[in-house]
Amino acid sequence: MTGIGQAQPEFPSDRVGRISTAVQTDAGSRAKPKRASPREVFKEMPLLVKISAVWLILIVFGAIYAKLDVAVFDGSLPLQNPNLLTNGFNADTGEFGTGDPIEGISGSHWLGTDAIARDTFARIIHGAWVSLIVATISAAFGIVVGGFLGALVGYVRGRTETVIMSMVDVILAFPALVLLLALVSIFEVRDLFVISLVIGVLSIPAYTRVARANSLAISNREFVTAARAIGTRPNSILFREIIPNVLPTLLSYAMVASAFVVVVEGSLSFLGLSVQLPQSTWGNMINQARRDIKVDIYQVLWPSLALSLTVLSLNQVGDWFQKRGSVRDSAL
Amino acid sequence: MRKRQLFKLLALLLVFALGAAACGSDDDDSSNGDDTTAGDDTGSDDEGDDAADEGDEGDDAADEGDDAAAGDEAEGDVDTEVEEEDPAIERVYGGDISVGLEAEATSLRPWDDTCSSPCYNIAVTIFDKLMEQDVDGNYQGWLAESIVPNDDFTTWTMVLRSGVTFHDGSDFNAQSVADMFPVQLTGGQGASSAASSNLTGVEATGDLEVTYTLSTTNSAFPAFLSRAALGLVFEPGAAAADPVAFSDAPVGTGPFMIEKRDIDNETVVVRNDSYWGTDPDGNQLPFLDSITFRPIPDEGNRLDALLSGTVTAIGSLRQGTIRDARAEGDAITLYEYQGSTVGGGHFNTLVAPLDDVRVRQGLNRLNDQGTVLEALGGTGISFPGTQFFSPDSPWYSEAVAAAWPAFDFNGGTALLQEYVDDPARSDGKAVGEKIDVELSCPPDPTLTAAMQVIESVWTASELVNVTLTSFDQATHIGMAFNDAHQAHCWRFSDDNDPSITFNAGFAPPNEEIAAAAGVPGVVSPVNWANWFNADAFTASQAAIQTDDFAERKALYEQIGLLMAEEAPVWYSGYTATMIATDPALLGLASWHVPSGDLGSGLPNAEGHWSEVWLAAG
Repeated sequence: MTGIGQAQPEFPSDRVGRISTAVQTDAGSRAKPKRASPREVFKEMPLLVKISAVWLILIVFGAIYAKLDVAVFDGSLPLQNPNLLTNGFNADTGEFGTGDPIEGISGSHWLGTDAIARDTFARIIHGAWVSLIVATISAAFGIVVGGFLGALVGYVRGRTETVIMSMVDVILAFPALVLLLALVSIFEVRDLFVISLVIGVLSIPAYTRVARANSLAISNREFVTAARAIGTRPNSILFREIIPNVLPTLLSYAMVASAFVVVVEGSLSFLGLSVQLPQSTWGNMINQARRDIKVDIYQVLWPSLALSLTVLSLNQVGDWFQKRGSVRDSAL
Repeated sequence: MRKRQLFKLLALLLVFALGAAACGSDDDDSSNGDDTTAGDDTGSDDEGDDAADEGDEGDDAADEGDDAAAGDEAEGDVDTEVEEEDPAIERVYGGDISVGLEAEATSLRPWDDTCSSPCYNIAVTIFDKLMEQDVDGNYQGWLAESIVPNDDFTTWTMVLRSGVTFHDGSDFNAQSVADMFPVQLTGGQGASSAASSNLTGVEATGDLEVTYTLSTTNSAFPAFLSRAALGLVFEPGAAAADPVAFSDAPVGTGPFMIEKRDIDNETVVVRNDSYWGTDPDGNQLPFLDSITFRPIPDEGNRLDALLSGTVTAIGSLRQGTIRDARAEGDAITLYEYQGSTVGGGHFNTLVAPLDDVRVRQGLNRLNDQGTVLEALGGTGISFPGTQFFSPDSPWYSEAVAAAWPAFDFNGGTALLQEYVDDPARSDGKAVGEKIDVELSCPPDPTLTAAMQVIESVWTASELVNVTLTSFDQATHIGMAFNDAHQAHCWRFSDDNDPSITFNAGFAPPNEEIAAAAGVPGVVSPVNWANWFNADAFTASQAAIQTDDFAERKALYEQIGLLMAEEAPVWYSGYTATMIATDPALLGLASWHVPSGDLGSGLPNAEGHWSEVWLAAG
């Protein structure tokens, strides 16, 4: 077994680098087809995956647009204030608004208004920002930390693997939601960063397992054996041979995992344990609207639909990328 | 393949659309829903809807409230139902029911723990009270047969009912009441009630005669014997032996005995076959075999539990739930009650910036009560509050209603601006900096909506940074007890004698203030706002020196005016409450005091379950 600390044949470092690169490049040039452009990738997608991808793009652009409106343009972009009571007192005009609570769909309120007359469409768009950030940060955490740990232990094995994977197993064995609630309740102030951080930390074990499984397989591949044989340093093998080959799998896994994260964040919001009010999230919108579900189901339906479609889309796109990656692997 | 996927997608969208169409309702439907009330219960719903259409129902409602004379049934809110059940209906023995409560009664030690609506529902099945309010608000004996004061109201002599036994078989007599007193003094609530009622000693002066000795006069003392801390009768030996175990196995003289106590799941009480009580027709009470109380915190789930038959009755203190229950029509029986309980919140007046009256007044003027009530689902159900008494109460003061700071955005902003620009501002911030206020409420969707209305308007002033926080109810109450709060949503007052609320509510909040006020040792842990005004305190004490109603009302009015001036609290609206039941459950609103007079009904959704029966068949 080769470990990272084990003695290796001595080669000049510059030579090792060149040989290693040559081996990889050579193998890559035979196995990999020409890298597809985003347009070509989109064309490859089945219809349902295409629609899912479009939905995700809309959500991402919507969330960024909403954030820009608040952070840069001070509410001057054409999107209603998600926290303004449209029937409330307007300090600028000195008058009450004309909207009603739980108003139906109209030209001024595309998805109606909630129980305190706030524009539901604006709240959904602003809520998308929370889901987007939490999903992105947790994926980043998972890929960077979990991915590195998994790739490392899959390559070095030995005690390092035993210790790290035991810790991962312990964390995975604990009910995730309970652990999440415990962690979240520690923080008195729950802003977006804190929530993302907590969910991100809890995402690490799953990514570690996926990365380790891939790392184990890649460690036995010919180009890794060749690199090892010519005396490439273990660190170089890890960072130049293992991790780059684990990364595509992690990225496609991240999409599926993000779907789970969106649901988790929604659950926390529903329980009132996510970002603090009045920041809108899909979960707290559903929670607040459920009181009036007998009067108007739509205020529950719209955020639920946004959440469901986003999760469905992440799963569809993630699954498709995974399948696409698998085909490539088998072709290798 | 692509066609198949397209069809799948279309089918999915169709399912969503059909689901929405089937379950939802358009705008017209929803307004119909509002109109589908229990018709006979409230003749005023149309007014409420009209007001909502105009978008400024709060002001309208307030105007109506102002017009209402004290003690009259106010127009526009719920009707309080206390009426005699049809004597022709056969009273049926037997049957088991379950009751859904808004929270668990975490403890059943009357002398120690705060007893709110869920607690009272359970407690009055196990413990009898010494005194009870009748339909007219007068205090009559329950376990007491009579109570007589001396000339200056410093000594009260009570004669107890004979032939009463505790659930453990021991006799209830004057010595039992005397022995309860030392136990009561060991508990937070008991000690507080004793202090605020001026009670210093309880002595058995006969087998069934008890003498209460007060440090100073208290003309309203019987009122204190109608509430949990001093009024609920428990077996003192068992309580003293193991106070903690007593909570799980309470022993009283009530119509039911504890069978099972499983906190946060269910509390089961079963018939006390040797109960002393009868109804006015001489029928032995209680009628039911057992009652299971289940905490169901979510308002929607609780109502659904009733509609699905999971429970037989539910209580609620939320206007939105009353609105939804009304829409169920004849599927349930609805007992509504508009009492003097008023929602809102208190400012912790000991912490900056809320220690400054300009800030409190400013925030009160930025409290858009009409919109808050709308968010609470209370439009057409209750009025904006202005004091601790609803317009239905004989204690209601039009002068206080007029003096209470009404919604005035510019006026409120000007007051806050004055504070913000004051170089000597109490929060130590630089001139021009916004003030910071933490606004906290339990995480109930209804309360959350109301809180966000308040937050929205306070924030719109551009002078306040509002942090919204939510904690579970126990934590929320604990924060107020420990003074770890700022702007804290709360529910005030009840239909008892005002002295119950005012004596403890406005006594010095800590020893330092008590000493400064010249009343060392008189400290109240339930002065939630920590607001102490010497004139208000003096008035509250003076109000229990006389039994002259007009004189007492004038004193409470004076306190109300001082509150309007210093604004230690803010109000949303008066709390309408309800108990909704399966139509087969009868007799709930027609319980009687032992004299045969009707009882006070169901204030605060507190049910009296001994005269309740399940209809035959």
